[in-house]
Amino acid sequence: MSAVELTFTVNGRPRVVEIDPAETLLGVLRDRLGLTGTKEGCNEGECGACTVLVDGLPVDSCIYAAAATAGRRVETAEGLTHDGLGRELQAAFVAAGGVQCGFCTPGFITTLVAVLREDDKPSEEDVRTALAGNICRCTGYSQILDAVAATISGRNER
Amino acid sequence: MTVIGERVPRSDGQTKVSGEAIYGVDYAEPGMLWGALLRSPVSAGRITRLDTTAAAAMPGVHAVLTAADAPDVHAGWVLRDQRLFATDAVRYEGQPIAAVAADTLAQARAAAAAIVLEIEPLPAVVDLVRAMAPDSPLVHPGWESYVPAAGPDFPRRGNIAAECIADPPGVDEAFARAHRVISDEFVAQRQYQAYIEPKSAVGIFRDGRYTVHTAHQFPYNVRDRVSQFLDVRPSAVRVVGHTIGGGFGAKLDASLEPYAALLSKVVGGSAVKLVNTRTEDLLTCPCRENALTRLRSAVDADGNILARELEVIADNGAYSGEMPWLASIALHCARGVYRCGPTRVVSRLMYTNTAPTGAFRGVNGTYLYHAVERHMDHIATELGLDRRDYRLQQLITDGAEMPNGQVLADAGILREGFDAVESVAPWAELQAGRRPYRGIGIGAAWWVTNPMPGTAVVKLHEDGTVAVITAATDNGSGAVSMGVTQIVAERLGIPPTDVFVTMPDTDVAGFDAGSQGSRTTRIVGKASQLAADEVVEKLRGVAAGLLEAAADDLEVADGTVRVKGVPGNSIPIAEVAVAATNTVGPVQGTGSFVTPFPDFNPGCATGLMFPSFPTPTYHVHLAEVEIDPVTGNVRVLRYVVAQEVGRVISPDGTYGQVMGGVTQGIGYALHESLRIGEDGRYRERTLESYRLPLATDIPRVEFVPLEHPDPDGPFGAKGVAESPVLLPAAVIANAVSDAIGAPLNHIPIIPEDVLAAIQGSAGDVRSDEEVAP
Ligand code: FES
Ligand code: FES
Repeated sequence: MSAVELTFTVNGRPRVVEIDPAETLLGVLRDRLGLTGTKEGCNEGECGACTVLVDGLPVDSCIYAAAATAGRRVETAEGLTHDGLGRELQAAFVAAGGVQCGFCTPGFITTLVAVLREDDKPSEEDVRTALAGNICRCTGYSQILDAVAATISGRNER
Repeated sequence: MTVIGERVPRSDGQTKVSGEAIYGVDYAEPGMLWGALLRSPVSAGRITRLDTTAAAAMPGVHAVLTAADAPDVHAGWVLRDQRLFATDAVRYEGQPIAAVAADTLAQARAAAAAIVLEIEPLPAVVDLVRAMAPDSPLVHPGWESYVPAAGPDFPRRGNIAAECIADPPGVDEAFARAHRVISDEFVAQRQYQAYIEPKSAVGIFRDGRYTVHTAHQFPYNVRDRVSQFLDVRPSAVRVVGHTIGGGFGAKLDASLEPYAALLSKVVGGSAVKLVNTRTEDLLTCPCRENALTRLRSAVDADGNILARELEVIADNGAYSGEMPWLASIALHCARGVYRCGPTRVVSRLMYTNTAPTGAFRGVNGTYLYHAVERHMDHIATELGLDRRDYRLQQLITDGAEMPNGQVLADAGILREGFDAVESVAPWAELQAGRRPYRGIGIGAAWWVTNPMPGTAVVKLHEDGTVAVITAATDNGSGAVSMGVTQIVAERLGIPPTDVFVTMPDTDVAGFDAGSQGSRTTRIVGKASQLAADEVVEKLRGVAAGLLEAAADDLEVADGTVRVKGVPGNSIPIAEVAVAATNTVGPVQGTGSFVTPFPDFNPGCATGLMFPSFPTPTYHVHLAEVEIDPVTGNVRVLRYVVAQEVGRVISPDGTYGQVMGGVTQGIGYALHESLRIGEDGRYRERTLESYRLPLATDIPRVEFVPLEHPDPDGPFGAKGVAESPVLLPAAVIANAVSDAIGAPLNHIPIIPEDVLAAIQGSAGDVRSDEEVAP
């Protein structure tokens, strides 16, 4: 397969990379751009560890064609470190014990950024449903939900 | 100021949430090649053709290895029954047959797929009972030639990979005079640890030594296994640990590491990385073993258990791993936490043509307690007794002697556990509030804190901060990033943010038995505490000169060394550290710790490889469930845990372990299952079919920690993390059976079984033997 050029925005920076037309977004982020904060847990769209935002919407980057992001905005865990809401969620995860092994965490935070940008006061039921595509094997989810609750209340206080 | 029991953020938290942490799968070396394995597509067979010529000529390929390229040795954690590559026989689906190194992962995988492999299939040994039959094919016809990795051989023969038998006097007599004999049979499935980071390894052969980078729970065990497989002395292998994306026991033995190491040697020293696909990972993971458990109890009219028989047949898979050590756990769980007369235990581990099983949090205990606690419900129901009252009536108390002769001085904590659960979820209220298709279940357990050795060096920097050098690993529990960190900080009177714990490196840190059996906070915490004590002593010695006071009058607190009772007369630790460096030399301390095995009766059983339970802890769980009578789905409405923890070092870490362990137990109780086909192959092969608990499935666990500080533990700590998984299957099965009014003795309890039970056509109707008085 001949390489093609992909132009897109990653974490606010315009990027141009040579890719193989069949390559996944996950492969491009991890292997070509060295953004290993996005994790591969299954490569089959089941675990959510590879979640990134494309034009603000969460996608499983392991089954998402990199070529389909041409001209679009991609956000990853690394980029969310420079996003107000992303930072709040990250801090809340650490404070609430929502991180154990942490391998799922970038995916969870990425999904949650999208959820909370959309609705800054979702119910716990809504959050649980929104997280149904992200698997955490360590925590049993309670402290993740605590982190979300802390983020919501912190935001609403402002 | 104390940091023990305080909510301290984990030291690795920020790097994990930001995506900076380097996990095993993220680790890379300059100029690194990629490896891939050719694995057996069948469970049993004979290799009739293996031709690597075409694969070796493919683009980018540097090397293709088979058994002919590996040392002619057997290796294994407990028994040396494995070779690096299958030679003639293949014994499980996924068994490595060849390995490839190439420039890219895609090239390596393509070349592995291009190896010509022909296998003449043979019938797979799968059924545990049939595997025992004298005419069963043997998984290892050459079993007699295998030798233990260390120590004397143990009871094993043919397909029986290990056997533990206790046959105390009086069992048959008690059965003969029993009022009733209650019998049950339980079936438990195989469970996949399903950590979200698949296994990986990077191997480097340089200067005549192997270096392996891996995200592993037990780096020293990797060192030993690589040294066995590659036939070099252990010190010729260096293992460097990286952040672990979950393990739960599955990352305690070596997996890809020896292949990465050997490939690197063969390609001339370039680093070679291997990473499992999710399916490879699932197919070859040392999962929780499937098992068949039979229980019989002789009871009198009041429900006293006069004698008991427990027989368990567990699946070892094709190779032994850690499993033979664990067969004797059946003896320790056979009575649960209840009084019981003489107890006969027959525990067998069977070789089969399936992937080798191994450690998964709560080893063996999950299905043993499922059996014992279901059986307790059965006895109570049979005798018309309330299930909770019956347990309280039979509960062991302080000084109870267990079947191995171990005496539990503090077993009375169990009653406190029942009381604690009662205070959160009163049994009578739950009973009174019962609605159709709702049920409650209760159960209790005792468990071990792994006693194996650990060591740490606490090194004082001249700025007053410290490094803790240890090969201990934080598999995510927070045992290192909170527990050990807090213990050292507390001892030295410095903030936890001034304590840096190194990542494991077997060239640097002393032996550590890894993150298993809830041992790290207790064992490594204690070793680190002792090391910190040495630092304190040295600081006081040097500060005595600076403060012109007697060392005995000094204390180390609040970042200073100061004269006791004279807070003004103090000097910052950093200054003492600098002074020490320039006078007596740099300050560091060393600590080592291991818990001795409690006394036991060596004559109580044969094959007693896990002789007693050091640092026991006690557990009571309760579940309330609701069943959908249309779909058969079971929903856990409430889950309550009272757990003896010694002392809570980190409340977030403790709760996280309880919540996470219970969640894995709920999955085990209700849906997680690797079903094994007659051909020995798993039916579930991806995370799509192997369903894990989701955020929508799990209630918040209501948790009551019971603190009974252990005088030997660091600040009283005992093990916490393993045991929460022990009882969910037991109490959920009890609750579902209660809801339906019919026994459900097989796990997982799937909707089909629930519907069948509701319709009164369950396949596992209780069998009672009436015994004439
Ligand atoms: S790696 Fe993409 S969903 Fe699991
Ligand atoms: S923290 Fe380990 S998978 Fe979520």
